[in-house]
Amino acid sequence: MKKEKDFDINNCYTISGKLALPYTYFAGRTGSTFITHIRDNKKIMGVRCNHCNKVFIPPRQTCEKCLSMISDNWVELENQGEILNYTVVRYDDNHLPRKAPFILAMIKLGKADTPVIHIVEGISINDVKEGLKVKAVFAEKTTNTILDIDHFEPV
Amino acid sequence: MGHRKKNRNVGIVGIGETKFSSHREDVNQPEMINEAVRDALNDAGLSIDDVECVVHGNMELFEMIHQPDLWHTLGTGAYGKDAYRLTTGGTTGGTLVAAADNLVASGMYDVVLAIGFEKLQEGHTTGGITNMADPLWARKLQSGALTDSAAVKVIAEFGEERAKRAAMTYRIIMDKHACLNPNSHRAFGLDWDQMDDLIKNSPPLIGNLRLIHMCSQSDGACAMIFASEEKAKSITDKPVWVRDHICIHREETLNLCNNYYPNQTTHKFAAEKLYERNGITDPVEYFDVFEMYDPSAWWGMDWIRDFFLLKDDEHIKLIENKDIMIDGKIPINPSGGVIAANPIGATAMVRVAEAAKQIRGNAGPHQIPRQVNHALASSFGGTMWTILFMLEKELNW
Amino acid sequence: MTKYFGVAIDDIFNSMAERFRPEGAADVDVKVGYDIREFGKRKLVISNRKMSLEKTDDLSDCNAVIKTDERTFVGVTVGKIETMEAIIALKFRVKGDQGVLALLPRLFLKLSTQEKDVKQEQELLVLKKVISVKQKFATGPVMGKFLKGLKEEKVLAIKCPECGRLQSPPREVCAICRVKNTEWVEVGPEGELRMLEYCYYASPDPLTGETRETPYGAIGVLLDKCKDEEVFWHLLNPAHLDRVKMGIVLGEKVIKGTRLRPVWSENRTGSINDIKYFEIAE
Repeated sequence: MKKEKDFDINNCYTISGKLALPYTYFAGRTGSTFITHIRDNKKIMGVRCNHCNKVFIPPRQTCEKCLSMISDNWVELENQGEILNYTVVRYDDNHLPRKAPFILAMIKLGKADTPVIHIVEGISINDVKEGLKVKAVFAEKTTNTILDIDHFEPV
Repeated sequence: MGHRKKNRNVGIVGIGETKFSSHREDVNQPEMINEAVRDALNDAGLSIDDVECVVHGNMELFEMIHQPDLWHTLGTGAYGKDAYRLTTGGTTGGTLVAAADNLVASGMYDVVLAIGFEKLQEGHTTGGITNMADPLWARKLQSGALTDSAAVKVIAEFGEERAKRAAMTYRIIMDKHACLNPNSHRAFGLDWDQMDDLIKNSPPLIGNLRLIHMCSQSDGACAMIFASEEKAKSITDKPVWVRDHICIHREETLNLCNNYYPNQTTHKFAAEKLYERNGITDPVEYFDVFEMYDPSAWWGMDWIRDFFLLKDDEHIKLIENKDIMIDGKIPINPSGGVIAANPIGATAMVRVAEAAKQIRGNAGPHQIPRQVNHALASSFGGTMWTILFMLEKELNW
Repeated sequence: MTKYFGVAIDDIFNSMAERFRPEGAADVDVKVGYDIREFGKRKLVISNRKMSLEKTDDLSDCNAVIKTDERTFVGVTVGKIETMEAIIALKFRVKGDQGVLALLPRLFLKLSTQEKDVKQEQELLVLKKVISVKQKFATGPVMGKFLKGLKEEKVLAIKCPECGRLQSPPREVCAICRVKNTEWVEVGPEGELRMLEYCYYASPDPLTGETRETPYGAIGVLLDKCKDEEVFWHLLNPAHLDRVKMGIVLGEKVIKGTRLRPVWSENRTGSINDIKYFEIAE
């Protein structure tokens, strides 16, 4: 089939743009309780669904499986747990919390049924492995975010 | 005849709404959504296990959370279910209802939950809307959804004095309605004797469009449950039937900056087609209520003509004679409309929800004081995008 | 006396002296007038960390006068009505120094009402951030040709082979006739003002995140050789905002708009910025 030539490829180029807008996010009551406990008491809290018999972290108002209200069932979790899975971040970008390379791991804390994702330090990227026991190191300066746990490190 | 391609009838069996407000610091997004979902399930007397499919929508640029339906599973109840996500600008809520209607009518699902929400406090609404414009040209020029074009057109046609008074009359009527609705975000308690003062002194936004004319920026969610005829009758003794809907879109962003329309608007086109295929010859006479997506008083007053296929100044007279008030000939927005509450991704769904509540007769303090059998609800968004819904108390077609 | 939200207006004024916070009034020297419909006028004087309140009809020497009605005043004071909303509804106005609105809450403790929030007050966390993403947009051949035209100080439009309508900026197709546009026409660059969006509202320019300067005018210009809806969307020289008139065609009624010409940028790169804005063509 003959392709109709009705435009000139030389007219195709790119123009730089940007998208920049201000945002404000609200943690809500449950999320705020979670972060302020880490910040003020160095305690990591989860919530339990009594119906599904599961302890969730991060805490949530409703159980995603059965939709019951669970945000009053606070459970204090252990500050340590084991690595279920991990990845090594090998590129730099300004939205990342650390300079590359660094380890991001799914960590299952004692008494929790779901893992939490966080940074692991104090071990070489070549030595990190599944099953490694780690503990939370709390931040000295608060940001009122999950980074009030600065990172996890091997026990 | 309803839409001739509809495979089976669809009923609204559950309606949930949060209160709409300027701020919800106490909840995050899935928590806010869950309030509406819970309300709708309670209203229908169903549990989340009865729902087969969840349709979820909002506008991502307003909160800058991409694919929020993933995180929102915490509040939507979509875990382990079929789920769809829709995002179509101002029409989002209407598109969600249209999709749920189609999903049930087709026979794909018997019970579908549709959820629309927005938490506009978390972002910058006007900036977000501007970002949806063509990046090589319109993004530099557009001022969100704010425009003077409707006012310019109405003033040219009816003269400044009459046009401005009609727009402000429309606005005060909407506020009177909003004061009745416990869920409305803004209910100022405007008085008729404030008319001249408001026309002259309300802070200007763009040209003749003043702050008082424009819709609010709200936080809130709406959820609705749709079921097949057989299921609907078993769930509730008061199902509201979706007789028909029509979706018309004419996207022409780059050439919209004009003050008159030689081409037909999507509102008028949609109304003509919908009435034609449903045998409606006099819509003002036929419908008992119209819940209109009215982003500003200028648009609202101008669009009555298009939606009801009126001529000359008939629409202005409906306003001047207060026929559109809750106890008037053809009540428009007894809920207070979009000017009173605009959580954008939910807004168009709230129009359908409020119209359905009027038919059920349990709208609350803003219930129309006479029998409502036939309701019309509209959605507006994008640049030229209209969805119209016809709701019925009885299966009368 | 009528109570609103469980509070009588006298309760507010009578308790001002005990609610006054001298520590908040350091360096404050201000006179605030209250002109309250159905109630009367009061003058609040704050000076040397002291306050006084007098009943007077003369508020002429006040830095600011708050004009409102009894219900709104009580509602705003006890936090049942948002001040901004009352301002939009013209039920609450500040004449003179608007700064008093931010100042007053600093000077007085909140009035305690019987109706207390039973929920325990909790610290609710907020995360604020500007999200900024770099982008790059492809012009494609049609928009690219048009933008390159601007570089040569030419405005190009594309013509529909069926209905003949012109589009500028151009589109690949005529969406009404559903055919491919192929023929290019040079239009303008002068034309007639058909639409002016006189913007007082300062929105962020999403390309920079910076708030735009107001007022500014976004305009639709009917460039020479174009007709009807074929207007060209750009900006107006802000200095000319109050000197232009919109053209209108409404049935038989025809009003001519101001004649405008583009002001070209010195450094043109093939973008919307190649035209600085339009201005009145003398």
